[in-house]
Amino acid sequence: MRNFRLLVPLLAVLFVALAPGTAAAQGDEVVTGPGFGARALQALLDGVQFGAIIAITAVGLSLVFGTTHLINFAHGELVTIGAVVAFFLNISAGLHLVVAALIAVLIGALVGAILQLGLWAPLRRRGVGMINMFIVTIGLSLLLRHVILIFFGTRPQSYREYDIQRAIDLGPVGITPRDLTIVLISVGLLVGVALMLQKTRIGTAIRALSSNRDLAEASGIDVNRVVLVVWTLGGGLAAIGGVFFGLTEIITWDMGFRLLLLMFAGIILGGLGTAYGAMVGSFVVGIVAQMSSLWFPIDLQNAWALLALILVLLIRPQGILGQRERVG
Amino acid sequence: MDEPLLVADELVAGYVTGVDILRGCGAELGAGEIVGVIGPNGAGKSTLVKAMFGLLRVRTGSVRLRGADVTNRPAHELVSRGIGYVPQRQNVFATLTVEENLRMGTYLRPRRFTERRDFVEELFPLLAKRRNQKAGSMSGGERQMLAMGRALMMEPEVLLLDEPSAGLSPAYQDQVFARVKEINSTGVAIFMVEQNARRCLQICDRGYVLDQGTNAYTGTGHQLLHDEKVIELYLGTLARAR
Repeated sequence: MRNFRLLVPLLAVLFVALAPGTAAAQGDEVVTGPGFGARALQALLDGVQFGAIIAITAVGLSLVFGTTHLINFAHGELVTIGAVVAFFLNISAGLHLVVAALIAVLIGALVGAILQLGLWAPLRRRGVGMINMFIVTIGLSLLLRHVILIFFGTRPQSYREYDIQRAIDLGPVGITPRDLTIVLISVGLLVGVALMLQKTRIGTAIRALSSNRDLAEASGIDVNRVVLVVWTLGGGLAAIGGVFFGLTEIITWDMGFRLLLLMFAGIILGGLGTAYGAMVGSFVVGIVAQMSSLWFPIDLQNAWALLALILVLLIRPQGILGQRERVG
Repeated sequence: MDEPLLVADELVAGYVTGVDILRGCGAELGAGEIVGVIGPNGAGKSTLVKAMFGLLRVRTGSVRLRGADVTNRPAHELVSRGIGYVPQRQNVFATLTVEENLRMGTYLRPRRFTERRDFVEELFPLLAKRRNQKAGSMSGGERQMLAMGRALMMEPEVLLLDEPSAGLSPAYQDQVFARVKEINSTGVAIFMVEQNARRCLQICDRGYVLDQGTNAYTGTGHQLLHDEKVIELYLGTLARAR
């Protein structure tokens, strides 16, 4: 176990030693760009931004899993729905993106609520097993993705506002006002969710339900109502995450599905079923993905994030914030 | 004649389609009583209490509370009607603190939290010292105290206990039975399913012996403790097994 604990710092030292910036010192005619330190800081900042977007989408997925034990493969499509609805309202209806995003969040929350009331609650009432429901989520994901494809098409699109911006110079790093706003709103929303879970009655009930469903019911908690709140919240957060993802990259018909694996990685890395774990894990995934591009091709960045997941699980099988329960 | 506080009448219930665990058994609990249910493993003791509390669907038969039919009503509704329930296993919210566990006990009446917490902490002083401790880090005996405390937060008229002494050390078993008597003395009627048959019958006003999902014997705690057949078939067997 001690050897495993040494593994991560050793790998970190190895990566720094292999930094391309150190090789530049040997050549005389190398074009001078930003130093390795500045590029690393920039990658870290990009990682925080990417992590914030993963976190805002993953929290809902984690809460749904925590309260219902459902692995929702269709959560990525809730992200896409948010981005696409905001796109149509922004481009076709001519609404300002801020207004379009707010409406998209409401529609995302509504889709989450409708899915719970119209699909998951009836399936649970009929006694459908979790594996069967998991397969249903895969089918739903395919269905929703292709419905979006029919309406949206295959062509990548962008929002009308905030498309190209000049970065604000923050010493060695730079960030556009758009990206800074996205990070600040995302972090603000995550803090809001954390406070809601920690300080409010419904938040404690959500944590209680994640801990023990039967006991929650035996305590007088209306479990179906709490699960409805979770789906509504998850749908809304996924939608705003979709808008942010569409703003920082491009809007495509399968953008949420591409993010899904990283959401799962963040949730598992942080500790399955804990919303705080999903937040922490998502930031780790985002930072590792972005920083890996310092040494390796950018196409491999998600693979490195998943490698980090495996390494963390080898050292701490319950995830970063996952807890083991005392027995006896 | 007035109907008892809680009545389970000829219940048929089970977990798997076509397989009945309860096969027409029943029980009654009067106001202020302690009623114990004993029987061998697999007799349907825990199933009976789950069916009464709406956690398991009743196929035929009825559950009545103060004369009103509450068969198959959801558990959260029964809590609001004055029934508390302490499950045998996983009886606390492990990831929540002791105080949050108690707070969930008054989920339906949050304004009564402070008043009820003070009452429960007087009954279980340990909980006052551990308010901020995660319930998952407590010992089995401490969890049982917390579980009973949580169930008392709504000031129930009836408390259903599913094998409260199971898996506990002898010292904690003593504490559990003493606390059950103490809770009962505050006016709460207690319906208790127990494996420790002898100890259970010692504190019960009345008892039921279940066997294969049906009522085998019924009587006062004292009668059952001294009934030759009950001793031979249940208490004796259990004593020998120990």
